[in-house]
Amino acid sequence: MKHYRSMISPYVLWAFGFIIIPFIMIMVYAFTDGGLSLTDAGFSLDSFAEMTDSLYFTVFTRSFSTGILTTLLCLFIGYPMAFFITKFDERVQGTLILITTIPMWINLLLRTYAWIGILSDNGLLNSFLKMLGIGPVSIMYTGIAVNIGLVCNFLPFMILPIHTSLSKMDPSLLEAAYDLGANKVQAFTRVIFKYSIPGVLNGVIITFLMAISAFVIPKMLGGGQFTLLGNLIENQFISVGNWNFGAAVSLILAIVILAAISFLKRIDPDGTV
Amino acid sequence: MKKIISIVLILTMAFSLVLTGCTKKEDEKKKLRIFNAGEYIDKSLLTEFEKAYGCEIIYETFDSNESMYTKIRSGETYDILVPSDYMIERLIKEDYLAEIDWEQIPNKKYLQEHLLGQDYDPEDKYCVPYYYGSVGILYNKKVIDKEDLADGWELLRNTKYAGNIYMYDSERDSFMIACKALGYSMNTIKEKEIKKAYKWLVKQRDTMDPVYVTDDVIDNMISGNKSLAVVYSGDGALIISENDDMDFFEPEQGTNLWTDCMVMTKDCKNQELAMEFMNFMCDPDNAYLNTQYIGYSSAVKPAFEMIRDDDYKGIKAFVPRIHFDKDEVFRYQTNKTRKIYSKLWTKVKAY
Amino acid sequence: MKKFQKSKLFYGLYIGVIFAFFYLPIVVTMFFSFNSSKSLTHFSGFSLRWYGNLIKDTEIMQAVYVSISIAILATIISTIIGTLTAIGLSKCRKLVREMLLNVNNIPMMNPDIVTAIGFLILFSSLRIPKGYYTMLMAHITFCIPYVITSVYPKVKTLDPNLADAAMDLGASPFMALYKVILPMLREGIFAGALLAFTMSFDDFVISYFVTGNGVSNISIIVYNMTKRTNPTINALSTIVILVIFVTMFIVKVIPYLIGKRRKEQLAYEENN
Repeated sequence: MKHYRSMISPYVLWAFGFIIIPFIMIMVYAFTDGGLSLTDAGFSLDSFAEMTDSLYFTVFTRSFSTGILTTLLCLFIGYPMAFFITKFDERVQGTLILITTIPMWINLLLRTYAWIGILSDNGLLNSFLKMLGIGPVSIMYTGIAVNIGLVCNFLPFMILPIHTSLSKMDPSLLEAAYDLGANKVQAFTRVIFKYSIPGVLNGVIITFLMAISAFVIPKMLGGGQFTLLGNLIENQFISVGNWNFGAAVSLILAIVILAAISFLKRIDPDGTV
Repeated sequence: MKKIISIVLILTMAFSLVLTGCTKKEDEKKKLRIFNAGEYIDKSLLTEFEKAYGCEIIYETFDSNESMYTKIRSGETYDILVPSDYMIERLIKEDYLAEIDWEQIPNKKYLQEHLLGQDYDPEDKYCVPYYYGSVGILYNKKVIDKEDLADGWELLRNTKYAGNIYMYDSERDSFMIACKALGYSMNTIKEKEIKKAYKWLVKQRDTMDPVYVTDDVIDNMISGNKSLAVVYSGDGALIISENDDMDFFEPEQGTNLWTDCMVMTKDCKNQELAMEFMNFMCDPDNAYLNTQYIGYSSAVKPAFEMIRDDDYKGIKAFVPRIHFDKDEVFRYQTNKTRKIYSKLWTKVKAY
Repeated sequence: MKKFQKSKLFYGLYIGVIFAFFYLPIVVTMFFSFNSSKSLTHFSGFSLRWYGNLIKDTEIMQAVYVSISIAILATIISTIIGTLTAIGLSKCRKLVREMLLNVNNIPMMNPDIVTAIGFLILFSSLRIPKGYYTMLMAHITFCIPYVITSVYPKVKTLDPNLADAAMDLGASPFMALYKVILPMLREGIFAGALLAFTMSFDDFVISYFVTGNGVSNISIIVYNMTKRTNPTINALSTIVILVIFVTMFIVKVIPYLIGKRRKEQLAYEENN
C-alpha cells in the first residue's frame, strides 16, 4: 500500500523551507553578532551574555508570573464553568459551548480595543462606579488591566478542552462511586477530576503558551512600563534593531515553552494530551 | 498520484495567476512608496495626488524613527521617508538618501526660513521640511499649582503629582528631559552624564509611578485622565483646542527642537514623481488642509500663519519657541552611544 | 428535586456572569459604533456616521479585502496540502511519520512571536520583498498543522484496506482517493478548514512581522489605529461580529434544523 505515500512530499518540502529553515536562522542569529545582516557575522555568545543582566531577569520573571497567574485564573474560573455546562442536557450544552466559542472568532485586537474604553480612567467602569458612589479606580495601564485582557481572551481555550474531557465521562461511573460510599468530595477528586485531567492539561498548556508570549494585550492595556518577553522581542526586532539579541531571547522562550509542555505532558497518566 | 500533485500545482498556479492578474493592471501605473509616521497626513491629500498625477501611492506608517530605520536596514525599500532631524543625519551619513532637485519644487519659497540650512543638512541638499515643534509639558490648570511650573522639568518629579503623569515612550526625548533637568547637553556622549540622566529617570519612575505612553496620550489628556504629560508641541495644541483646562509650556532649562522632513531615498525609481509629491505637500492650500488635520506646526509659512491666527488662535503650543539658546536639536549618535541609550531606556521602562 | 433546581439556578447564574464578562466588550463596542459623537463613554445620540466613514476609508476596505482573501486562499491551500499529507502519513514508515508530525508540531507549540520572527529573518535575508505573498506563505504555514491535526486522527480510524478494495474493483488510485477516502474524512477536513480560516482571519502577530509595502490586514490596521479613539474601528468591529454570528448560525443551526426535519421525515415514513 504505497500509493499515497508520496503525497506527503509537498509538505515535506514546505515544512523544510518554512518551518525548519526559519528556526535554524533564529539560532544562527542568536549565536552571531552581525546585526541585521549575516554577511559579516561571526560566532558570538554576546547575546546570551547580555541576558545575564538583572534587567532581563526581571522581564523573564514578570512574564512567567503573568503567564502563571493568567493560567491559574483561567483554570479556577474555567473549570467550574466547564463542569456546570455539563450539568445541562445535551442540546443546551451545545448552545452554551457555541456561545463560549463565538468570542474566539472575533479579532483579538478588536476585543482588547474595547477593554480600553471600559477600563480607562474616565471610562465606562469608572462612570458606573461613580453612579454607585464609589471612588474612581485606576486600572488602565496596570497589571490588573493586562490580566483582565488576557483572561477574557484566553478563558475559552481553558473551558473547551475541560468540557470535552468531562463530557466524555460516563455518568454511571459517578453513581458507582456514590454506591461504593464515596462522599461528594471523594467523588469529585477520585472520579470527576481524574477524568478531566487531559482537558485540564490541554487547557493549561494552551493558555500558558499564549499568555507568556503575549505582546499586543500588554502593549495596549499595560503601557510602555509593562514589558513582557513578547514586548522585549518585538522591541529588539522592530525598533532597537538588535536582531541577534532578539533571536537569542526568542530561542530561550521557545526552549522554555517546549520544556514546560513536555513537563506538563508527563503529568498526564494516560498520555492522552 | 501524479494527477493529484498536478491538480494541486495547477490550483496554486491558477490562484497566483488570478492574483497577479488583479495586480497587473495597477503595475502599469507609476508607483510612489511613502513611509511616514502614523497619523501624520490627511489621507484625502494622498487620493487627490493619485488622481492628479495618475499614480498609485503605497503608503505605510511607522511608530518611531528607530523602527523606520530598522525596517530600512532590514532591506525594505521606499521612495519617500519622513524622519526627524537626527535620523536624517544618520541616513545621510550612511548614504541612503538622494539629493533633492529644488528646481522641481517651486513651492520652496513658502517654507519657513528658520527650518532651512540646519546642522544636519547645512546645504539643504536632502530634506524638505514638513512639520516642526518642540517638546514640553502639558498640564491641567485646575490641578497644577502655578508656582510649581517654575521648576521646569523637575515638575515631573514633584511627588505632589505622583501617579498623575504620562511620560512619552521615546528613548531620546526621555533622556533629553533628564539631561536638560540636570543642565547637560541632550546630545551628551559623556558616560558619566548619561549615567546621571539614567538615575534621574529611574528616580522619577520610582517616586512618580508614571505611565509610558505614545500617541494614546492625546485622547487620554483630552478626557483629562491625568494632569501632567510630556507631549510634542503639536499634540499639545491639539489637546488644548479640545480641552480648555489644559495648558502647555516649554521649560526654561531648554528643550528639544525637532524638525520632520521629507527625504528621498536612493532606491527611488521615479524621482520626478517624488519631487512632485514634495512640491504638492508644500503647496499652501494643501499644507493648510494637512495642518488642520494633524494640528502640528507646518513648515509652510502661509499655512502655519493661517492656522495660528484662526483655528489655533491663542494656543501657544502651536507656536514653538525658536531662537532660545538653551534649546537644541538632536544630533547623530554613533552605534555605540545608541546602544548604551537604548539599553538604559529599556532598563528604565521594564523594571 | 427542589435542591436540584436550586443548584441549576446557581450553575446558570455562574455561566451567565462569565458570558457577561465575555460579551461585555463586544456589546460595548457595538453600542458605541452608533454614537453620534467621538466619545467611547458618553452616548450622545444615534448615528450611522462611523459606518459612512468606514465605507469611505479605502485603507480599511483594502485591509478587509486582504484579510478575507488571505484567509480564503490560506484555507484552501492548507486544507489541500494538509489533507494529502495526513492521508500520505498513514502509509509512511513510522520513522518518517514521527519526524514529520514532530516538525508539524513546531508552529503550534512555538509562541507566535517566535514563528513570526523566524519568517521575518527568512524573508529579510533572502531579500524577498515583504507584502501580500509573504503574508500568504506565512499563513499557509501556520494553518497546515491545524488541518493535519484535525484530519490525521480520522485517517487513522479508516480501514487501511479500503483503498485497496476500491482499486481491486477497478478504481484508479485517484478515483479511490476521491470517491472513497476523501468522503469518509469529510468531517475532519471541514473542521480543519474551519480552524485554518479562523486562525488566518484572526492573526495579528505573524502578519505584523511579515508584511510590508503598505499591505495590512484588519488586525494590523486596528493596531495602528488604536492609539487614538476612533469609532470607525467600532463600526468595523460590529460588522465583523455580525458576520461571525450569521456564519455561526448558518454553520451550526441550519444543519441542526435540516437534521431535525430529516429525522421527522424518517419517523413519518417509518410510521407509514
